[in-house]
Amino acid sequence: MTASKNQHLAANPYRPWPTRITSIVDLTENEKLFELRIIDDEVRDTFRFDSGQFVEMSIFGVGEAPISISSAPSKRGFIELCVRKAGDVTGALHSKRCGDIIGIRGPFGRGFPIQEMKGHDVLLVAGGLGIAPLKSLINQIHDERHEFGKVTILYGARNPSEVLFRYQFDMWKHRDDFELILTVDEADDSWADEVGVVTKLFDKIEIDSARTYSAICGPPVMYRFVIDEMRKKGMDVDRIFVSFERRMKCGIGKCGHCGVGHQYTCIDGPVFSYWEAMNLQEAI
Amino acid sequence: MFFRVMDQSRLPDLVRGLAEEFEVVGPVAKDDRYVFGRIEDPADLELHYDTTLLPPKKLFFPPEERMMRFRVADNEVVDDEVYAGPRVLFGVHPCDINGLLLMDNVFMGDFEDPYYKARRENTVIVGVSCTPTDTCFCNAWGTDEVHWGFDIFLTDLGDRYFVSVRSVLGAELLDRHVETREIGDADTEAFQSASRKFKGSFTEELDTSQLPLLLDAKFDSPMWDELGDRCLSCGACSTVCPTCYCFDVVDRLEPDQKTGMRERRWDSCQFVEFAAVAHGENFRVSRASRVKYRYYHKQWGYLSKFERVLCVGCGRCERACLAKISPREVVKALETGGVQ
Amino acid sequence: MGARVVVLGLASDFGCQVQLTNIEDHLLDVLGLIDLSYWQLASSGHMPDEYDVALVEGAVTTDEHVELLRKVRETAAVVIAIGSCAVTGGIPALAGTGDLEGRYEAVYGEGTDVARGRTRPVAVTSVIEVDYIVPGCPIDTGEFLKVLSRVLGGLSDKPSEQPMCFACKTRENVCFFEKGEMCLGVVTRSGCHARCISLGRPCTGCRGIAPEANLGAARDVFEQHGFETARSLHAMNLYNTNEEVAL
Repeated sequence: MTASKNQHLAANPYRPWPTRITSIVDLTENEKLFELRIIDDEVRDTFRFDSGQFVEMSIFGVGEAPISISSAPSKRGFIELCVRKAGDVTGALHSKRCGDIIGIRGPFGRGFPIQEMKGHDVLLVAGGLGIAPLKSLINQIHDERHEFGKVTILYGARNPSEVLFRYQFDMWKHRDDFELILTVDEADDSWADEVGVVTKLFDKIEIDSARTYSAICGPPVMYRFVIDEMRKKGMDVDRIFVSFERRMKCGIGKCGHCGVGHQYTCIDGPVFSYWEAMNLQEAI
Repeated sequence: MFFRVMDQSRLPDLVRGLAEEFEVVGPVAKDDRYVFGRIEDPADLELHYDTTLLPPKKLFFPPEERMMRFRVADNEVVDDEVYAGPRVLFGVHPCDINGLLLMDNVFMGDFEDPYYKARRENTVIVGVSCTPTDTCFCNAWGTDEVHWGFDIFLTDLGDRYFVSVRSVLGAELLDRHVETREIGDADTEAFQSASRKFKGSFTEELDTSQLPLLLDAKFDSPMWDELGDRCLSCGACSTVCPTCYCFDVVDRLEPDQKTGMRERRWDSCQFVEFAAVAHGENFRVSRASRVKYRYYHKQWGYLSKFERVLCVGCGRCERACLAKISPREVVKALETGGVQ
Repeated sequence: MGARVVVLGLASDFGCQVQLTNIEDHLLDVLGLIDLSYWQLASSGHMPDEYDVALVEGAVTTDEHVELLRKVRETAAVVIAIGSCAVTGGIPALAGTGDLEGRYEAVYGEGTDVARGRTRPVAVTSVIEVDYIVPGCPIDTGEFLKVLSRVLGGLSDKPSEQPMCFACKTRENVCFFEKGEMCLGVVTRSGCHARCISLGRPCTGCRGIAPEANLGAARDVFEQHGFETARSLHAMNLYNTNEEVAL
């Protein structure tokens, strides 16, 4: 024991790193893509993460919000967060301008099992804002394309104005090394892709279930239906991966808000295999 | 571990001696109950207390605490220092020492919590033996015994204490401040006899067999709805629990709106907004689901990580709950299939 | 230029406006952030036609109040109801539980011309939508500053939804029910740090019924402790006659 009184907390996992907003792209009416750069050189240079992990985005005076990283792990020096304006913290972020300083802590949680996925076909299914964490995985697969077999991406949104990253997907639709199918619940005159819920797209794809890994991210109601389709295609429960959104407040397994069944989303997830999720009460 | 014997008449010497070096905190009377409070005079120490209103967690993880001060303009932390003066926590029951050990797993395992840790490492623990009350069920979890997590432990043998010494610091403090003697066979026998008497004085033996499994098997049992109907959603159970560690974090600005502080405060899974996420989804809207989660987490969630149940059987929640929902009742309902 | 703020009082004892003057230590900080355009209690001028934030104290007891509030709602971007009278109807609303006219007569004498266009007293929140509430009788200045800070920062209102026991336990108060006394903390919105209870008086419910209170379970608790439902309701009525309290 030391008789110290005021101890400076050298390693404080609750202390956010000052981070500069280096770019803001308006994606939709309610979603923006923020590119961030941690100001401290050493912290920035040693910042590593896996696709599917998240950071706590911190605006002092307002609070913190857990946000998945959207950029690929291979993109160094910067991270991207795709953020929907949904509450006070994300609202405050939306009112920030390029050059402003916010804070981040992380990365936290368990991401997608990218090493396991390598050498296999990959099926990615996103609904709405669920594309944000999958975007990181998609970009990583893109960067290491030769490591993967066939890559299929199904992405559904409510309507064309809510389709995220459309500029990038419109380009990818013409590539033959990605099968990308977009769908919206309600189309308008500008929409040339599919119409209907994302599960309908399963009729249009071929899956070699024995050599496919899949990842799903979307609103809670979506999981059950998508998983049913995957199971019909013969996919094993331990090769389907889901990412959960819960209230990860501290990010480090302390505050208790993100409990799902007997686990904490922040340290045990947010990515779980479907087998794990089946064993989590109230998960899906 | 080594042992000494101390005459009970020497207790004030020990307390006064410790007070020369430390802030001493121990059980003191409040109305007809007890709280852990500052001991200015050894006579204030109530070592025959039943239990305290709040458990000792308040000294390591205060109900409200400042985590850091910040500046709004550049989103920068101004300071994140923690005050952790040297302190002796005197007269802690085995259940509460075990409670701290369970908290340690969370706050001092992966991602160490610097605030908790600073206080924990600057606190000397002196335990004391107790007499079970009719709300105690520490015997159900084995938390009626304590083997580590203290510096000194005093077992009451009537006229003397059987003193267990766990740490070097404990040995030094004992040596420095009070006269003790070596144990003899009679002391050891008296210690064993006191332990047997203690074990025999519990009013109830709870059947806790297969509890984690039963929680899953009876996840949809109507017993949870019955408990949910009774629950006041007041969170009193979480407040008084020596092992509930959930917290909320809030930012507070100074009136000039230029600086502020990030604070954390105790929270409860019994509150409706506890599991709500920003996009409007709430994973535990019903009271039943929240009552259930409390037990599910304590007796399976925590256990799945640390191989211990997150309950020490202190009975505080049962006494604090106006609706009289208690772990004993829940365990019995799970084992037998229904709420009384 | 800071937000233009007006402070209005309806039927009340103006105690909450007095509380605002008690912010002393921080009054200058606060005044530096806002443009206090009108304060009924402290200024002799007229209410301006335009303003951004309206603080309203007191219950609604006349047609004139109703008109005023509608105008306030149209004009102000932000309306803050302060104090029990404005938030729950408070004590003034008690008058409406019985023979309202008879009560006016008993107090002011028969035929006295007082409170023209009088109506059954209700909370401000029953007449117009408000954006923020600062409950309590009187309000707590610390809580007021917290709410004002959220207003100025454009953050949503986050009043506690829970009963008071949680906060009360953190203060290590011995429960009044253990002493055989009734305490309304079990159903009353927390946020006051259980101040009265910590000072030795049971909660009288001035902050209103907590949205998350389990009133049915509370009724059982009251009964088990020997308090009949009629008596519990009577106690709750002190500040909560406007609430649809189904015990």
